[in-house]
Amino acid sequence: MFSRRGFVRLGAATVGSLALRPFGLLPALAQGSGPDYRALVCIFLYGGNDSNNTVLPMDDASFSAYTSIRGQLALTSADLTATLTTASGNPVAFHAKLAELASLFSSKELAVVANVGSLVQPLTRALYQAQQAPVPVNLFSHSDQQLQWQTSIAQGSSATGWAGRAADYIATQGYNSPAFPSFLSVAGNSLMGAGAQTQPVEMTPGQSLQLKGFNSSAQSQARWDALNNLLTLDSGIALAQAANDTVASTISDATALGGALSKAAALKTVFPKTSIGEQLQQVAQIIQVQATLGMRRQIFFCSLGGFDTHTNELNTHNSLYPQLSPAIAAFYDATEELGMAQNVTTFTESDFSRTLQPTSGDGSDHAWGSHHLVLGGAVQGGQVYGKFPTFALGGSDDADTRGRWIPTTSIDQYGATLCSWFGIPQSALATVFPNLANFSAGQLGFLG
Amino acid sequence: MKHLLWHLGIASALMAIPAWSQSSPAPMSDRAAARLLDQATWGPTPASIQQLQSVGINAWLQAQFAAPVSDLPDQPSMNAAGKTNTALGPVQSAFFQNTLSGQDQLRQRVAFALSEIWVESAVTVHPAYAQPVYWRVLRDNAFGNYRDIMKAVTLSPAMGEFLNLANNNKANAKKGTAANENYAREFQQLFTIGLVQLNPDGTVMLDANGNPVPTYNQAEITDTARVLTGWTYPVAPGATQKNNNPAYFIGQMIPVEAEHDTTAKTVIGGVQIPAGQTTSQDLDSLLDALMQQSTMAPFVSAQLIQHLVTSNPSPQYIQRVSSVFTNDGTGASGNMQAVIIAILTDPEARAADDPNATPNANFGHMREPVLFMANVLRGLNGTLGASSAIQNQTNQMGQNLFSAPSVFSYFSPQYRTEKGLPGPEFQLYSTATAAARADIVNSILYGTLDKSTQFDLSPFTSVGASISALVDTISYTFFYHGMSNSLQQAVTSAAAAASSPQKAAQAALYVALTSGEYQIVH
Repeated sequence: MFSRRGFVRLGAATVGSLALRPFGLLPALAQGSGPDYRALVCIFLYGGNDSNNTVLPMDDASFSAYTSIRGQLALTSADLTATLTTASGNPVAFHAKLAELASLFSSKELAVVANVGSLVQPLTRALYQAQQAPVPVNLFSHSDQQLQWQTSIAQGSSATGWAGRAADYIATQGYNSPAFPSFLSVAGNSLMGAGAQTQPVEMTPGQSLQLKGFNSSAQSQARWDALNNLLTLDSGIALAQAANDTVASTISDATALGGALSKAAALKTVFPKTSIGEQLQQVAQIIQVQATLGMRRQIFFCSLGGFDTHTNELNTHNSLYPQLSPAIAAFYDATEELGMAQNVTTFTESDFSRTLQPTSGDGSDHAWGSHHLVLGGAVQGGQVYGKFPTFALGGSDDADTRGRWIPTTSIDQYGATLCSWFGIPQSALATVFPNLANFSAGQLGFLG
Repeated sequence: MKHLLWHLGIASALMAIPAWSQSSPAPMSDRAAARLLDQATWGPTPASIQQLQSVGINAWLQAQFAAPVSDLPDQPSMNAAGKTNTALGPVQSAFFQNTLSGQDQLRQRVAFALSEIWVESAVTVHPAYAQPVYWRVLRDNAFGNYRDIMKAVTLSPAMGEFLNLANNNKANAKKGTAANENYAREFQQLFTIGLVQLNPDGTVMLDANGNPVPTYNQAEITDTARVLTGWTYPVAPGATQKNNNPAYFIGQMIPVEAEHDTTAKTVIGGVQIPAGQTTSQDLDSLLDALMQQSTMAPFVSAQLIQHLVTSNPSPQYIQRVSSVFTNDGTGASGNMQAVIIAILTDPEARAADDPNATPNANFGHMREPVLFMANVLRGLNGTLGASSAIQNQTNQMGQNLFSAPSVFSYFSPQYRTEKGLPGPEFQLYSTATAAARADIVNSILYGTLDKSTQFDLSPFTSVGASISALVDTISYTFFYHGMSNSLQQAVTSAAAAASSPQKAAQAALYVALTSGEYQIVH
């Protein structure tokens, strides 16, 4: 008997050409059997996910050190999936509530990138403690570290996010209809999608952007015209103009979206009725209509909050991971249903990981480098990229004495690997990731 | 004469109102009164404009400081099913009722601003009964002293739960645990001094290399976490005191010396806290050290200005207010009444009272959803019935009352618009929530929000037959009697095409209330 996932994959392979039919003709640059379409989907885990308990190296030395230091927060074998073997032959296990993701790791659609974080340049414990090399500003602060994950600029503030700068490049290449933004958030405003020339669109999952209450009558048309005319006039109040700019985007984006979504058939994939499930369902529905929208390169932004586990961490993970894991798995299924699994890469970000040493109240405090997940048909999965830290308080990977891992892979390297696959050429990567040149390996190899 | 008020010293403003100010020969214009009321209340009404005009700004402020205090209703701890009662609706709708009928408008506005600095949230503090109790801490200290706010919030059990000061035990070698850093960090980063040292005018202090100077380092956070060990929840009625009491949200947290780290610590500014102090003594030492930080005055002052008056104050405005925060004229710092007077009577806040003043294009701030909803309710004569679900509307716009997504509130004081202008409230304003905002206006004017929330459009429909009278009424109610020419033209064209006086009023109000000009308190 087929597993549900196996069935979907088989189905997509056999009816792939049929599945494309609702989208009309393939774009002119399409190659091979699939459309020329690529999407990056960010899932931001707000609050700082303690990735020490997301995925674990299971060699005896690591697990023993982990168990000893983690105390009340230590996961036991009962709290973990079965031990899996990476492509390099190393044992790892996931939190048991991430069973769907572990399954995708086994089937090589999902990869782990270990100990990623904000860096200006490569850093060691000695350099950090002696303050002899540039370090990211305001380490361990939620707001600053969230922004550094979204901008890749560790030295300070930035007016644009890395995905926004990628969207700026995409806009110059004629991939997308100019009528719709390349970056779409279903989780509110984020700096990640702000470009220098391009701006994001935000949707609430399941809700239209179309302004309600208008019809074809003359008086309704007059009211509509009055509203629209106002958007073009300068009130002399800069913030009023900023508000008008947003309403103008709402109206134009609503027109593009409404027309495309109204023609789409319902997805068969069933998504969990959770916030992250509904966000990913909305993203899948947009991907479904990419051809109608005229989009061939899109970046999406979703989020799940609640990871600031200073106390009660085990229970909190046991509540959050069962929201995250099935939603991501459903989203992968939906990309298979659409024949788009190879065209969509999903990845996680988070403020930071947390201290390996527990804190009063069965939680952990703000730390630094964290493990992240990358998923999609194009991902070279079943592997851990980068290096797990050595579990020792005050050890070689610890910024101080509580197990705050100094990252061994930078956000720039992580993002550049995603963006290279997405279609940002080497020549443009330096603009998207200005610190990338500080790291010898510009690509991590988990895609393509 | 209209400039006279600006030049009053703070010390004299705090004294009893001299007779001459009450007989000032230049009464406030509608515009001046309405602007102040948009900054200091939930929105001007014809009655509040007339009241302010009749007594003048100083007497009005003093009356507000003394006004009877609105309350939020206590909630049962358990629901009918015997489970923890987490239903916040009654508290949220009572909040909006207070915006309509409470006499303590300024106190509510300041307490609300404080609630977005000293954030505590039902997202993790689940029992509904905790929220009115926490709100009272901010309300009762809104016109007091900032140090008292620091202490009262720190010892409030809801904050203790939210940022884990409650049951923050000293390090335990056997369990391998350290003191919890959560409150130590956010107390300083968000509530008192921020991450970088500030000059008195709010600009960032730079070192010799041009880099910002941090306020603290990680070692000081770790030590501050140890200072803040040893507090537990108040003892619930009928319960027995333990070292770690279970969550209970009424009263103040209590010290437990057995769980307090009594070793010496180094905290903010390098201040040494000696070994051997009690839990309470350590807290007072920390509060004293924070009050000594010159960064606190501009850090707090700038945020209060942003909440009440403008997102983008000049350094000079911040400096004038922060100098009052530092010293109210009697040598005391943190005097909230003096700070509020300084913010609201500052020349920069009052400049546009004069319609002929040179406009400052960057002045003002966006009505966040709660301000937008309250202002519309007051301007359109809203009434809230017992089952009103008005709070659902602000939730649609991204602001669920008492439920900020994290301690970082609904929006950051540093958030900027797409063009780079500071505009904190714009963090909540997206293509999605802009549509929600317009759709709420549509529902109010052409349908209903919910059957228990009513509006009275008769002041507008009754003049709908005369477009100029209609425009004038809308301008008086929502635009300080100073609607721009372009908005007047847009409103006029929409009203002129309408088929009845009622439809003219609806169309005119729709265009006015969805305009960018209305979204910005200016």
